[in-house]
Order: sequence, then structure tokens, then C-alpha cells
Amino acid sequence: MSWQRVLALMLRIVRQFRRDKRTLALILVVPVLVLSLLGYIYRGSGEPTRLAVVLEGDSPLARQVLALLEETSSLQVIVMEREPALQAVDRREVDGVLVLPALPVQPGTQPEVELILEGSQPSAAGAIAGAVSRALPQAIIQTMSPSGQAIQIEPRFLHGGPQFDQLDYFAPTFIGFFAFFFVFLLTSVSFLRERLQGSIERLIVSPLDRREIVLGYMLGFTLFATVQSIVMVIFTVAVLRIHYAGELWLVVFLTFLMTVGAVNLGIFLSAFARTELQVVQFIPIVITPQGLLSGIIWPVDSLPRPLQWLAQALPLTWANEALRAVMIRGEGLDALGLHLAVLIGFAAAMAALAMVTLRREVA
Amino acid sequence: MDATIVADEVSRTFGPVRAIDRLTLEIPPGVIYGLLGPSGSGKTTFLRMVVGALRPTEGRLLVLGRTMPDRAVAGQIGYMPQTAALYPDLTLRENLAFFGRIYGLRGRKLEDRVEQLVNDLGLLGWVDQPLYRFSSGMLQRASLACALLHQPELLVLDEPTVGLDPVLRRSLWAHFRQLAEQGKTLLISTHTMDEADRCDLLGFLRGGRLLASDTPAALRLQTGQADLEDAFLALAGQPGIPVGEP
Repeated sequence: MSWQRVLALMLRIVRQFRRDKRTLALILVVPVLVLSLLGYIYRGSGEPTRLAVVLEGDSPLARQVLALLEETSSLQVIVMEREPALQAVDRREVDGVLVLPALPVQPGTQPEVELILEGSQPSAAGAIAGAVSRALPQAIIQTMSPSGQAIQIEPRFLHGGPQFDQLDYFAPTFIGFFAFFFVFLLTSVSFLRERLQGSIERLIVSPLDRREIVLGYMLGFTLFATVQSIVMVIFTVAVLRIHYAGELWLVVFLTFLMTVGAVNLGIFLSAFARTELQVVQFIPIVITPQGLLSGIIWPVDSLPRPLQWLAQALPLTWANEALRAVMIRGEGLDALGLHLAVLIGFAAAMAALAMVTLRREVA
Repeated sequence: MDATIVADEVSRTFGPVRAIDRLTLEIPPGVIYGLLGPSGSGKTTFLRMVVGALRPTEGRLLVLGRTMPDRAVAGQIGYMPQTAALYPDLTLRENLAFFGRIYGLRGRKLEDRVEQLVNDLGLLGWVDQPLYRFSSGMLQRASLACALLHQPELLVLDEPTVGLDPVLRRSLWAHFRQLAEQGKTLLISTHTMDEADRCDLLGFLRGGRLLASDTPAALRLQTGQADLEDAFLALAGQPGIPVGEP
């Protein structure tokens, strides 16, 4: 094992990268763009859901319901007459109509409330149904209790906080996902190129041995992946103001472990591709299932049981769990023993497979 | 002195195809051995076994005293494959530095070798250009430079002068002769007759079989043909079939 040879290989990969401005932009700029886009989607103000409220008479209850609905930030409440409101929902100018009758509220009676939803957009319908079903009972309690006081719940968060949103939940896993995806893609393409242009034969007959080839590739590519993850961590924390509780170097370290596995998976799978198009065909097999099942968007616990088992077999699931544990719950290395073992095991298994395919090069 | 290459009944098959068929030969150190034969005759297959990129299916192949493939002699062999097999996005200097470091050259020594080779091969003005700008003849020379860099004991060159102009071809052969005089062994595949005539020893390869292996003069004498091409055809026993591309 000669470190001089390993470093020569690593240096060559770094130089090729530096020459290739487009790829450099792909790994450094694209993740930042995607994160910015997500940040804007989740945190920027979009069109509010519109609800028409029809008051069929004046009553304290109706006024209270209206007041509560108007406080809901995601709703735009418009008071209308019954007929124009029904026409508006038909023309999709509003997403729903709430008809509040002027019933006196007495014990034992139930006000007859009509709710008509446009319904073709589930999230708007859900937002209206949710807001109305929260506002009604609260209004009933407030109008009936002598003091006018309703029960107030002040939640206490163990992790996260009242400001914690979907972006805070996604961001840690995106760092791991991007690192895995780009490193896998770039390694398999550049290793394939090495085969196509015949330079792999020059390496095989040189004093370089298989361990040195795998190590040189690993160092070269993980260097860029680490730079990428540092850029992403800085961007999410400083610009997107993502919630973080733990040590950020741990995030970079977990990403590093993930990319070591990805480099070797790339070397291994490139042996089964003859063209660059065939490398791209690995994306639906390797990347898509991990993107869907590893808990980035849907928590693994919420998946059907057979898919949960499948998710447990994917390295990205473990990386995501560990990244969330660090960033959201502030856990340290000591709490992540199993996750580290799985990620190191994955990297070692992939390195072994990569070396087996390199052995086959001397046919 | 021990022979640099000893092949004893070496065969190599690819599925049903027998690319090299029970080849036996010995190449002493300090000579230029030319392997002559039409394309598809097994020249490249044999060269790849000599450098350790292919494993013989049968027989024994000794290179510099070791049974191939053996990584222990990798540092003493220089190999120039048929295609350039370099990194087009890197400059010539960077390509040379990479291969130099892999073969243990560094610092001043590496710089001196790079300087000397780009001078010898007429690439001086191009050393800091990326290889994708090179013509095929220039790539050929760049590839040769990478094989010569670490001054190996054995040089294995797969059709090194294809596509080169006559002036350059002549100067390369002068360089090869110089290396042989320093005691290096050169194994060169070719399919042009004028190059074959410059070799110390010549092997005629056809359909994976070695038809003859001797000095050009002895082959002429044996076949009674003044022309090497005629000698080849006489040995092949099929006069009238061209030996290879001109």
C-alpha cells in the first residue's frame, strides 16, 4: 500500500473535477437552488384558501365562529349572501361555503351548520374542514361559559418548537440525499469512462493495487461531497435559518460515511454498465426507492409494514434517522451507535464488492 | 542472462475463440522483438498477457522471471495500449505527472523526465494543453511518453507508430534502438513491413499461432524470399492473401 500512489489518484480526480465547471456547479449550486426553492415553497406566502361565510341571522354564536375563522392565518374569509356564495363555489372563486343559521344556542339543541366544499383540491378542502371543526366547538364553549373563557392549551415541545415546520423536518435529510445521489452518479460515470477510454487497463497493469484504486477514488470523491455538505449545512443554517440543535460537524461526518458507501456502490455498479445511458438507468433502481422510502418526506413509521422492512434495508434510512437525531433532537455520537455501525457496515460491504469487480478486470 | 519473456505453450481463449494457440517463444534482454501479423491475429491478446492485463488460459508465461500476471514486476514494465487510454480533460503535463507518480517518480526527477520526453517526442509546445485538443498522432506520442516515463526494463508497445509521419516514425525507431542498446527489451506489434525490418527478432503471428520466430535475415533465408511480406506469405502457406493493412 503506497500513499503516494493513492494521493496521485486522488489528485487526478480533484483536477478533473476542477476542469469540469459544469459538474462542479451541479454538485455545489444545484443543492442550494433546490433548498432555496423548498424554503420558498414552505415559507413564502402562497394564495390563501378562500372560504365564503353565509350568516343567515345574527347570533352570538355565529359572530364568534366568524371571528375565530378570521383569526386563522391560512384562510381568507369573505362574508356573502347564500346565492352568490353558492355560485362562487361553483365557479371555483372560493374553495368552500359555510352557512351559519341563526339558532339560539340552548342546551340540548344542535345548530344546523352547512359546509359545502369545492373539493377538487384536497389540501384546500382539508384546511377548511379542519378550521371549521376547530372553530365551532370553541365558539360554543366561549358563548356558553359565563366568563367567556375557553380552555386554552399551551403545548410544551420536547424538540423543535412552535416555529418548527416541514422545511426543518426535511432539510437534514436533503443534505444526506444529495451527497449520496451526486457521489453515486459521478463515481459510476467516471469509472465507466475509465473503462471506456481504456485507462483502467493502464491502472491495472501499473503498480497500483485494487485497494489503492478504491481508496484513491474514495478520497477524491468524498472530498467534493464533504465540501458539498459543508456548503449545504452553512446555507440551511445561515440563510434558511433551519432549526438545529446538535453539532454540525456530526452532520458532515454522517454525510461523509454515506458518500464512502456511495463511491463504492458506484464503482461496483459501473461494472454492469456499458454506456453512460445504462448508468443513468441505475437511478430508478438505486436512487428512487431510497428517495421515497428512507423517510425524507413520509416518516418510515407511517409506511405499510412490508415497506417498513424494505426501508430498514436501505442505508439512506439510517443516515436520515441519524441526521434528524443530530439536527432536530441534538443527539451526540453516543446515541447513534447502531446507525454508525449500519453506515460503516454498508460502506465496508460496498468497498468489498467494488474490489471484487476490480479483480475481474484482469480477465 | 535470463530471457526477459519466456512463453511456454501459452494459450488464451475467449469463449469458443482461441485467440492465442500454444505459443512458445523466448525474448532475450536488450533486443527489439517485432510481432507481425494481420489484425485479429492475436497480437494485442499476447501483449496484454505479457503486461498482466489478461490471464493465460493454458501454459506458462514468465516475464522478468515472474509468472504473469504478477504485480511485483508491474513497475518494470511500460505499456502503451493501442488506443491512447489517457485522460482527455487533463493537460499532457498532468497526465504524465499522474502516471509518473503511480510509478514512483516525484519532484525534480519527474519534472526532468517530463521535460526530456516532450522534447524527444516533439510535444514541447503542447505540454500544458488538455489532451482533447490533440490530434490522433499527438495522442499516440503522448501515450508513448506515459509508457516511457519510468524507464522500464521491458517496453510493450501496441502499434506505436500508426498514423505518424515518416520523419517522426524514423526518429521514434532511433529512440527504440537507443533503449535496446541500453539493455532494455522492447516488444512491439506492427503490421507494416518496413518496421518489421528494423527489429532484431521477428515473430509471425497468424490466427493465434506463431508461424516463425527468428531474425529478419534468417526468415528471408529460410523462405528464400527477399521480401519480408513474401516470407510471411510463404510461411502462412497461402500466397496471395494480404498480410495486413498497408
